[in-house]
Amino acid sequence: MNKIDLIDKYFSNSLSPKEQLKFNELLENDEQFKKEFDFQKDLQQVISRDQRKDLKEVLQNFEKDRKPSVNLFNNSKEWLVAASIIIIVGLGFLFVKSNFYPSSEKLFAQNYEPYRNIVLPIERGENSNTIEHSAFVAYENGNYHKAINLFNSVPNKNEQYIQFYKSMCYMSLNKTKEAIALLKTIADSNNKVNPENNFAEIANWYLALSYLNTGETDKASKRFSMIANNRGNVYKKEESKKILNYLD
Amino acid sequence: MLKIAEFSLSLSRMKEENSNKIIKLIKSGDQLVLKKIYDDNREAFIKFSRKYNIESYDAIDIYQDAIIVFYENIVNGKITDLSSKISTYLFAIGKYKIFQMHKRSYKIELRSELLVEEENISLDVNFQDEKLTNQQELLKKYYSRLGKRCKEILKLFYYEGYTLDEITDILTYSDKKVLKSQKSRCMKQLKDWIKKEL
Repeated sequence: MNKIDLIDKYFSNSLSPKEQLKFNELLENDEQFKKEFDFQKDLQQVISRDQRKDLKEVLQNFEKDRKPSVNLFNNSKEWLVAASIIIIVGLGFLFVKSNFYPSSEKLFAQNYEPYRNIVLPIERGENSNTIEHSAFVAYENGNYHKAINLFNSVPNKNEQYIQFYKSMCYMSLNKTKEAIALLKTIADSNNKVNPENNFAEIANWYLALSYLNTGETDKASKRFSMIANNRGNVYKKEESKKILNYLD
Repeated sequence: MLKIAEFSLSLSRMKEENSNKIIKLIKSGDQLVLKKIYDDNREAFIKFSRKYNIESYDAIDIYQDAIIVFYENIVNGKITDLSSKISTYLFAIGKYKIFQMHKRSYKIELRSELLVEEENISLDVNFQDEKLTNQQELLKKYYSRLGKRCKEILKLFYYEGYTLDEITDILTYSDKKVLKSQKSRCMKQLKDWIKKEL
């Protein structure tokens, strides 16, 4: 086993006890080895901090999303009084509104569920080696990053159902913009060639949900009405009507 | 498939099957799940930290760090199933952080609430407090200049702790050798840039 492999194994936590001994020995006696190891260790530190910083920002945004920050604190007392009245009235309003009219974010969360895999049912123990099969396995297991990569590599990647399931991955990863781009093409396609594999109506529902998630309620309403008023369609018709009541 | 609506029940009461799904979702970078966990445990955490005289402003900061530590334990495989409630992990991590803040040398059993098999989870990670060495500063500067592909590979390897075999699979390389030579090109690029600077 060469030295680089030992360092690789250290970072993926898979040194055997014997390899660990060899590793320790090299670290002590081989200057070149130690230098390389320190370099990678430093890199690990730097990347970890970078990732933590990103995650911290995400969490801080969660915090901001919780309550619209009311920053009316001022040194003057009258201001405080005025502000507290505004806050009390405002909170009362928010309370009433949130009880009777769930926010679009809440509507999204209540209604979103990734579409089940109806294309390629995965049987336990079934051994299939196609990329498409692996993609759907990853999808069913919730490995959405991996599924996207695999969906991008299938030979028929531009087919509607592949594009559709890719959009589901994006939605689950909260990459709503990417999802919307894909869903729009599918929802607006008039694919009558292969009606059994037509995802247009289903895509429309998810498109509407995505708009809820981005807060584009006008666009969401338009899509929900399309679903509710389409005579030939049964998919999510009732749900769409219900949501429309909240949005108007 | 996981129904988001199910989350409104209580994460803590979810069955083991669901806990595996949650772990998978967190690992895959699913922000909806993370947000749900964040919102569900926030109040309890603030209340909990009040016992240690922590203001809510500080408590939120500590809470966020605790979530990060929890996340990292899942990502690097130290938490593989949620045998304790999520809040238990967060409290244990938070408590550790609070004691560190007070710079008291408590010898009390910090892990007492956690089950025996969870004893190897890390309660702590280094945050921004420690100063970077010169070498690290340089690495930071040039890491940010690397291409997207390089960053992705290095992140998966050094931060998320995937093996090269797994990364070959995740990034759909034809085989491990191709990935290995790509990775060493990324490292060489970093080293070359740093050499020039010195």
